[in-house]
Amino acid sequence: MATQLNLSEPSDSDQSSASDQSVSSRSSSRVAEKKKGKSEAEEPFVLSIKYFSKVEAGTPVHGNDEVERHLVLVEKVAYSKGLPPEAISVMLEFAMSLRMGTVLCARVLRCLIPATVVPQEAVVRAVVWLGVGKIPMSTQVLFIKWVLTMFDMIDGKDQLRAIYGFIFSFVTEENLCPFICHLLYLLTRKESVRVFRVRKLLELQSKLGRQPFLMHLLSLYKVLCPELVTLSIPSRMRVCSWVRNHNSTWKSTLIGVQKRNGSQAASSIGLAFTIKDKASSRKRKHTHLQLPALSSVVNKQPQSEPSSSRKLVPLVQLHSFAQLLENMHHIELPAQMGSLLGSSLALQYLDFVQDESALLRLNFWLGYALYEEFLFCGDGGGFQNSDEALQFLNKLLSTENFLQGGFTSSEAFLYKFLTVWDGSLLRPQILALLSNIPVVPSSQIGRLLFEPLMQLFFTSSVFFKCGLVECLNSMLLKWLTWHSVYALEDDLDISLKSYTSINMTLSGFKDSVMDLVHFVGQLASVGLQLEGCHSLLLSFTLDFYETVCDMFLKYGLPLVVMPPPGVFYPTLFATDPISVDRLAYIMYRYKVNLASAKSQEKLTEAFHISSQTFHEFNHYVVVMVNSLWNSRMFKPDMDLKLSEELLLKSSVPQHWTSFDLIHHPAFMSYAIDFHQKCWPERKDMDLSSIKDSKPWIWYLEYLFTQGYDGFKLFFQSNISQKSPADDEQDESLS
Amino acid sequence: MICVLFSSAARTPTNSVVVERRSKSSKSYRQSYRSCVGAASRLCFTPGFTARRLNASRRAPKSHNVTDKVNPQQLALLMKTEWQLSYVTPLYQFRHTQLKSYSRQLSAFIAAEKQQGLAVEVEGAQSSFRVSISVVQGMVEADDDAETVLIQIHSKLLFAKKDEPQRPVWSGWLTCINGNPDYLRSLPEDFTCLPLFCSSGGEGLTAVVKSWFQQTFDCCFGTLEINHTSLQWLAALWTNCHAESSIQHLKMIWTLPVAPPLQVTYTVDPHDAWQLWSSVRKDPREESKGGEEAEEENSIDIEEVMEFMQGLKGHFYRHFRLDLSAGSLKQVTTALGSAKYSGKIKISNSRYMITTFTLLTECALLKMPL
Repeated sequence: MATQLNLSEPSDSDQSSASDQSVSSRSSSRVAEKKKGKSEAEEPFVLSIKYFSKVEAGTPVHGNDEVERHLVLVEKVAYSKGLPPEAISVMLEFAMSLRMGTVLCARVLRCLIPATVVPQEAVVRAVVWLGVGKIPMSTQVLFIKWVLTMFDMIDGKDQLRAIYGFIFSFVTEENLCPFICHLLYLLTRKESVRVFRVRKLLELQSKLGRQPFLMHLLSLYKVLCPELVTLSIPSRMRVCSWVRNHNSTWKSTLIGVQKRNGSQAASSIGLAFTIKDKASSRKRKHTHLQLPALSSVVNKQPQSEPSSSRKLVPLVQLHSFAQLLENMHHIELPAQMGSLLGSSLALQYLDFVQDESALLRLNFWLGYALYEEFLFCGDGGGFQNSDEALQFLNKLLSTENFLQGGFTSSEAFLYKFLTVWDGSLLRPQILALLSNIPVVPSSQIGRLLFEPLMQLFFTSSVFFKCGLVECLNSMLLKWLTWHSVYALEDDLDISLKSYTSINMTLSGFKDSVMDLVHFVGQLASVGLQLEGCHSLLLSFTLDFYETVCDMFLKYGLPLVVMPPPGVFYPTLFATDPISVDRLAYIMYRYKVNLASAKSQEKLTEAFHISSQTFHEFNHYVVVMVNSLWNSRMFKPDMDLKLSEELLLKSSVPQHWTSFDLIHHPAFMSYAIDFHQKCWPERKDMDLSSIKDSKPWIWYLEYLFTQGYDGFKLFFQSNISQKSPADDEQDESLS
Repeated sequence: MICVLFSSAARTPTNSVVVERRSKSSKSYRQSYRSCVGAASRLCFTPGFTARRLNASRRAPKSHNVTDKVNPQQLALLMKTEWQLSYVTPLYQFRHTQLKSYSRQLSAFIAAEKQQGLAVEVEGAQSSFRVSISVVQGMVEADDDAETVLIQIHSKLLFAKKDEPQRPVWSGWLTCINGNPDYLRSLPEDFTCLPLFCSSGGEGLTAVVKSWFQQTFDCCFGTLEINHTSLQWLAALWTNCHAESSIQHLKMIWTLPVAPPLQVTYTVDPHDAWQLWSSVRKDPREESKGGEEAEEENSIDIEEVMEFMQGLKGHFYRHFRLDLSAGSLKQVTTALGSAKYSGKIKISNSRYMITTFTLLTECALLKMPL
């Protein structure tokens, strides 16, 4: 239904922007309609709207049954449940363009009862039709009255404010003047008060006498710009005398429609997360998530100005990056820093200036919003408006991504929030925020991060576990990137002598990274055990170790941390070949990193990688080669020790071969496939025959062609190309 | 002089400096929003790292004559009114020297807001507001505290006679009494920390005043409730004054989570309360043996407060077989003042005002997001 309506809208120059604006309301009205089920009235209604959008100018009205039928239908829908925004646009355009003369115009206006909102652009277009001057005065008055009645339901006021001058020009129409004044009163902002307008109003006043509508508009002008209006205005004015409900039938119908539509209308308005008008935001209880409007500083300090003779340009007045560049050095920050979050231009500027106060203001606001929403919410109202919270966090995240860093206040908030989080509320957003946390010193990282995360990890589903490991991986990546960027810069401007001090502070960074890697190692070990080596969790864990194994070469951090046995063995014995292959790749990267570190260590002695790490690495390599290649599983030198008795009891024949590349559960199917391809005529399968030197080489080639590059790299670097019998191992690293 | 002893929990941690790199491009902006730790932060008082808690020990209220320091007329304005509390984040570029100009701006702002509202809401409005913002001289304790600021709004009622003078319709004040010096010093100069906002008057005007402050000084207002622990503190601190100034009664309102909800009003005879309090007080001499300064001997510990409350609860249990520990304290009233969980406070005796507001300032600072 929505798409049909969309098609039926009249083609207009600013159609695209209009459809953008009403997307949210349109989709929500669609949902509302779906809920009600397909009533028969729907399809004909769409056809009627289509009729009014297509009908040609000059079509006769009298005796035209078709238009009567369609109009009756539209009226029926309008008075029962209100018209959707698109229908309002179409009908208003139809009426104001006088396509079928003036007779229908008033009738259509009377039935324009919005179901949700009135699209602003429709109103703007209708106001433009007023200027054409063919509409009878009574109908013009009716239209302005309609705008006034529906004013609160217009989905935006910015475009209307943009044509303030155009609307103002109608004050000279004697009949329209009171209503135009009222409309202007609702639209007036400080910037719309101009000398010529004041003059015009005063001129009118001298002509018409002290009319209340003129007085009120003037008094508002005076409040906003006291220097422009010298007129004395009586302090006691009753506004009600001129602002009666202009049309009470509209009002009552509207109330009825809104009641019938119930909360649907309200929620669809609530969805739109924009900088709302003050009037609407004041009604809301939870206003702390709303971004303040981007506005310039009202309260300028006169005494501080003279020194800087340059004129400051408020950010509000800049609309393009070019303008920003032009005025880069005399930009005035907005009155409320929170408003920056909504504007990418402002963020660009923020990224450029290093104004501590500005950032602190932004942080205060941001922290306040986060605390109020998630920590101080009390028992009532808690996370009811999670839609808004979601939008807010998404906005915050996109800002942090834009600035490539987290905010102090969101960091501080997270430390508190983690202790009360249930692990499911807004999980993707919270985890994403968490991954933006900058390096935490080793002394604090346990209390602030690991303790709450551990509790959450062990009490949550496997999906949370995966999410958390992924989050910690991206956190580590960000830390490492940060390190590599800054380490590079240091090389540029720091003399050799100061290296010692860098080493000292570097060690703090290394400690934190080490803590993080160990922590994930622990989580993964226990998590894999708890979840029965869930392959998804294993995959995220391997992602993490793919980052860890390359820390030295990719990010220049002289630190190598091996995975714990709790990660290594479940991966080695995993039932999916991809995990085993990734392990081989990771071990290969470890080797490359370690070798490179060792050669550098000899040259500079700037750092030292402990022999324990080499030992662990060599041990893992030996285990891998022995089990996968040499078929020497369960030999006494391995970590896994099973008593001979138990192995006999299991009655697995040749148990020592059970985890080689042929009998490994992950590769068995490949071995069988290979066997069939190699000896298609053989009836009884003898997988051990692959072990012979020639088929073995072929088998490996076959595996490599299946995309197991990890193995290829691992074996090429660790085993000289010989038969499996000569257990050759590269132990050059020991 | 009353000063607060800071327990170790409230101290700023010695942040170990992480990866401090001296590089041309890693400048302060990164420092302040990239990290709240170590090298990165000037604001060393970061909530994440300090488990900020209410002080576990505070100075016993001395009979303290605020009237010596504060103009009695101004003081009278702060007394006998029930204030609704809010916390306020630090004000940006607030100048105590510009109050006249602020008054003008605020009255214009209120007029604008009111008039804009009128077109829609119409009836029952007041017109022409006169705002005066002034400093309450002397309403400070520590050197780091910013001077208290009082805001008064006068107006003529709509149906008032012509010659009738304008009447105060709203008042409020921003204060900081004995604010944590570590926190206050960690703020850059542009910021003025007046964390406690007390307001009394129509909600509409409160909202307008708050929104003017928000727009002008880029601050945020949040509700400040006086929690269970703070109410217990107040009960103890006020009882402690009984010897010098009668509290007349100690009235507490408890709510118990049963169905239907049960509210218990528990009023204690002042002498009984005082006796119980004296019995739980540690011997001050014993404490001063440790060679502490003489001034410190009169501090009150949270343990004493808890013991006092335990005594009151025990007494109640013996009579009514109802354990108040299961419920929570919602209101405390004595002749010195009253405090409600919802964040309403009324001071009836100026002599102990400073102690009460020291506690409330602390509560407000605990709510600060940074």
